[in-house]
Amino acid sequence: MTHPAPAPKRPDVRQEVRKAAELLSRPHNPGGRGVTSDLSVDEVLLLHSVEWEPVDLVFGSGLASVPAGVWTWGQGEIGPASESHAMAFRAAANRLASECTRVGGHGVVGVHVEAEVHRLHIDVELVGTAVRPVRAGNAPQVFSSDLSARDFVLLVQAGWMPLGLAFGASFTYVPRRGVGTTIRQKAQNVELTNFTEAMYSAREAAMARLQDFGLSLGAHGLVDATVSEGPMAFARHAIGFTAWATAVKMVADEHRRLAPQVVLPLDDAVVQFEATSLRD
Amino acid sequence: MTQPQDLPADAERRLSQLEHGLFTSDLSVNEFLLIKEVGFHPLGFVMGSSIYHTGIQTRSWGKSQELSKLTGAMYNARELAMNRMEEEAEELGADGVVGVRLDVNYYEWGNDAAEFIAMGTAVKAEDGSSYRNSKGKPFTSDLSGQDFWTLMQTGYVPQALVMGTCVYHIAHRGLLQALGSVGQNVELPNFTQALYEARELAMTRMQDEANELGSTGIVGVRLEEKSHQWGSHTIEFLSIGTAVAKRSGDVRLPTPTTIISLDN
Repeated sequence: MTHPAPAPKRPDVRQEVRKAAELLSRPHNPGGRGVTSDLSVDEVLLLHSVEWEPVDLVFGSGLASVPAGVWTWGQGEIGPASESHAMAFRAAANRLASECTRVGGHGVVGVHVEAEVHRLHIDVELVGTAVRPVRAGNAPQVFSSDLSARDFVLLVQAGWMPLGLAFGASFTYVPRRGVGTTIRQKAQNVELTNFTEAMYSAREAAMARLQDFGLSLGAHGLVDATVSEGPMAFARHAIGFTAWATAVKMVADEHRRLAPQVVLPLDDAVVQFEATSLRD
Repeated sequence: MTQPQDLPADAERRLSQLEHGLFTSDLSVNEFLLIKEVGFHPLGFVMGSSIYHTGIQTRSWGKSQELSKLTGAMYNARELAMNRMEEEAEELGADGVVGVRLDVNYYEWGNDAAEFIAMGTAVKAEDGSSYRNSKGKPFTSDLSGQDFWTLMQTGYVPQALVMGTCVYHIAHRGLLQALGSVGQNVELPNFTQALYEARELAMTRMQDEANELGSTGIVGVRLEEKSHQWGSHTIEFLSIGTAVAKRSGDVRLPTPTTIISLDN
């Protein structure tokens, strides 16, 4: 006769959190172990070519609650949701920066941004590799950037430095059309101006916040902006526009030209055989 | 300089910030550096959009024909988006817009309502010379930063993003016709002809736009065929490319070094 397997013991959440907090507050011992990074070998070599080195893989996450019921009905911008987004992003960025300082990095490159918007909370996770100039001490201020190590090296060579990850988001209600209007427009080819305006206001508010953030970092520009827009999966009448980009600043006296060389690869395109393509 | 007509107040506020020397752009670092390399400076991320209701048009089951009302709607909606983007670029005093993306998004909340959106990065020549097109407007182009660099090395400059569209209804085959071709390997001439005609119409319209600008050619042409939400027999043929004109005779593009990469 077989006994049913004993139910797995429920983890003691409080204990786990306490353990994690204790680990986080412990000073980092760089001599204790090697370097962890999600950079590829060529990226590490490239970093060394501008006299930088990876230090450690660092994380930051932020979670902000969204008041219940804000998504359902209203007009104009959904302020609480936009604020929660900013709060979550800021918390994640701050933790990433403090973790970077703790391991002795001067900045974080290749930050992978994962931002999820749920009905009741907004969740932002940042993962990247802390880097520093070879054998440098602690930095007064650290930067973070979603640029790859490759891009970082190119920027440094051109005389620019990343300053930080800037972001902006805005959530807006889509106005509902009256029944009469909907019927009238059914057979027409017309612009739906109130929808256009709602999209515009979400987009412009988010982009303006992105720019404000960039200016507050003292940036000369924002590159590699990632923008996404669309209705929320859980509330069709609410649309969100989110944008993040790396703030950059020219640190050299002038922009240094890179003078690229033109090359023509002679490799054949790799043709992969796909069995599924034979179907139908 | 013409004053922008229908830019929302929010957009103007955002653009006025950009005049303080900050630029925004969705260019990658590579593209950013290549644009600097040809002597341009990015000014800002510009966009334009229009949410448009593309209605219904009656089509006869057995007849191949262009649905001119729908064609007109698709044209008009894209023009609105493009014009708004150009107005933003104009507001920034740009010479042109590179890396333009034209997308159509459908949302759940509006049946048949589609968002037409155009976005790109406004750029300006650092030496102060004007690169505006023959109509005095900022040039637009869907070329990437890499393509833009290469094009400029050959003495050509982009003029405008040109497009042609045609919404076409392809006739259904009659029962007898369908039965007649069962088990045979034959060409279906009515389908072939309809697709041909629609494609030619779209291409011709695109070329007309380029001719109007006095361009020497169109590069990077893409031909897209989409049914959107009209069912399988109604197809939009969209051809889109960058019209270019020769600006100077000197070609600075060096002979490429051939390489064989050792990776993969």
